Amino acid sequence: MGGFATVLLVIGINIVLAVSLTVVNGFTGQFSMGHGGFMAVGGYVAAMIVYYGSLRLWGSANFAGGFLSSASGDGAWLAGGDVLFVVACLAAGLAAAGAGYLVGLPSLRLKGDYLAIVTLGFGEIVRVVLQGTAPQIARSKADVVRETPVWKLATHLGGAQGFNLLPTYATLFWIYFAAVLTLIVVYRLKMSSSGRAFLSIREDEIASQAMGVNVTKYKVRAFVLSSFFAGVAGGLYAMYLGAINATDLGFQRSFEVIIMVVLGGMGSISGATLAAILLSILPEVLRAPPPVWPAGLALLVVMVIIQKVGISFGLTRGPADGIVLNIAISMRSLRRSWKFKPLVIVAGVTMALETARLVCLQQQIDIAQYRMVLYALMLIIMMIVRPEGLFGVREFWDYLPRRRAHSPSGPVAEASA
Amino acid sequence: MTAPAPNSSAAPLLDVSGIAISFGGLKAVQNFSLQLPRGSLQGLIGPNGAGKTTVFNLLTGVYQPQAGSITLDGQALRGLKPHQIAAAGLSRTFQNIRLFGDLSVLDNVRVACHLRGSHSLAGTLLRTPRYVGQERAMTERARELLALFSLADRQDEHACNLPYGDQRRLEIVRAIATEPKILLLDEPAAGMNPQEKKALADLIRTIRDRFGLTILLIEHDMGLVMEICERITVLDYGIIIKNGTPREVQTCPDVIAAYLGGASEMKGTETRR
Repeated sequence: MGGFATVLLVIGINIVLAVSLTVVNGFTGQFSMGHGGFMAVGGYVAAMIVYYGSLRLWGSANFAGGFLSSASGDGAWLAGGDVLFVVACLAAGLAAAGAGYLVGLPSLRLKGDYLAIVTLGFGEIVRVVLQGTAPQIARSKADVVRETPVWKLATHLGGAQGFNLLPTYATLFWIYFAAVLTLIVVYRLKMSSSGRAFLSIREDEIASQAMGVNVTKYKVRAFVLSSFFAGVAGGLYAMYLGAINATDLGFQRSFEVIIMVVLGGMGSISGATLAAILLSILPEVLRAPPPVWPAGLALLVVMVIIQKVGISFGLTRGPADGIVLNIAISMRSLRRSWKFKPLVIVAGVTMALETARLVCLQQQIDIAQYRMVLYALMLIIMMIVRPEGLFGVREFWDYLPRRRAHSPSGPVAEASA
Repeated sequence: MTAPAPNSSAAPLLDVSGIAISFGGLKAVQNFSLQLPRGSLQGLIGPNGAGKTTVFNLLTGVYQPQAGSITLDGQALRGLKPHQIAAAGLSRTFQNIRLFGDLSVLDNVRVACHLRGSHSLAGTLLRTPRYVGQERAMTERARELLALFSLADRQDEHACNLPYGDQRRLEIVRAIATEPKILLLDEPAAGMNPQEKKALADLIRTIRDRFGLTILLIEHDMGLVMEICERITVLDYGIIIKNGTPREVQTCPDVIAAYLGGASEMKGTETRR
């Protein structure tokens, strides 16, 4: 169960990261590789505030939270420690947003690969600077912490050893609170006129300018917003691990998030969320692959149901109704074999995986040793089969019958001109 | 159709005087001047490579003029960014269609409506009544415009999936949605058949009358230009060679030479460059 809970926490943090990166990479079509860097900025700011803040306020860096932060709490829902933690996460977001503003400024001139290199460089600078900081002041030296001025404390971030022994406040509640908040903010943004301005920049920058979109302003806005949530995610990450080390937040970390965004589909919030979930689970699942046929079978049943629903929806749109017509339509859709391509693929993949698993069991091959190879292989196959990502630029509900092209103000009233 | 006679006593709506730009040694546009009275419909023609689209790019801020001045309704435009020029009331379509392909037809128009609203981040995220009202009004307006151009039934389609003629029309709708004073149309009839061109000519006149717009039109189709434009400016090698009514232009020897010089002129250009 402990392992399961850990995976859930990782999923939550990854959702915040992937969905926030969608704003920059997906909506405005800029290519940022600095998400790990923003996460590091936020993580260290939060760690510093919580650790040194606790020492200053209470003379100890022990956990001082309520029920929401511990799950085994002593009655109070919120305690001083929680407030400090929430403030720290907000400050983490703001600090990262400030960094995002600074990195966003050069992005006015740079596009594509060039911007990618700038953001990559930013991430590396953050990492190297953080690794060069002075050692952490020990937990036992609260009086030293009290005497040191705040600006000087900010240089004692642990250097190459990382910032350790933090009280762990980031529980499932807080992480999913942040994840849901991120989803709401980014979704509302996408469905707003600001969101359309973002998307128009991705589609055609020159046309976007000509239509009066202040491209510079919106690009920077995207950067600031995206890095704010990356900073919050960094704070949550530090407070869940109880430690943070800039070495873990280099460009490799940025790439993991980029992969989630690309896999989900550039600009698709639900795609990024789903990809964050899948890519967090996948490495764990591959440690000891469970039988896949129950899941495969369930998926097949669901898909059949969805297709049936599609057919009956087609009926309501038809010129007439009745059982005869119903049968006629079903027969026609039966003959349209492409409709069953997804079913065949799912069935085929399930059987192939199951066979592979059984063969491995028979031959006593330990799949866990090859899990990162398999992980990478799946990414490669995914990109070849579906380069636009899971959902492309759309959301998953756009694929449900009769719910195409979502608009925030409901269905069309008038049709005739 | 009777066009309202431009009021010649008032100051011109758009006053362009002596703008120029060169790319390296190539003088793309030199000493270009143009006065557009309110409500006028002016043509800008010239052989390929004459610098017509460059003039549009100069007017809309895509390129910065190296000399001269542009004044729209008393406001100096030179040095402004493209989005500021759009806000000042100059909107355009593109020769090579530049729609937001992956956005729906409705969203293409709503992006352009964006310009005339205010967009606070807080309002957007909290969905304040003011934001919701504005958003609804914007959608309503976009739908009205689409209906006017008989694109209403395609509003949920991706713009890139529209047929060519509809894409051209959508570009015009999008430009009008920014509520401009002047509309610059860059070869709106390119790739259209005679019937579509006829419809387009009517459409352009209707737009001008209905929205009270002033229109500057680049077009290669002489029939269309001569039919709808009140005045025509002819550009060749970046220099204005004639400015007058369609009849004057048709009979001007310089214009005829520029066009009918045809093949030999073109060869000369290439070697000169």
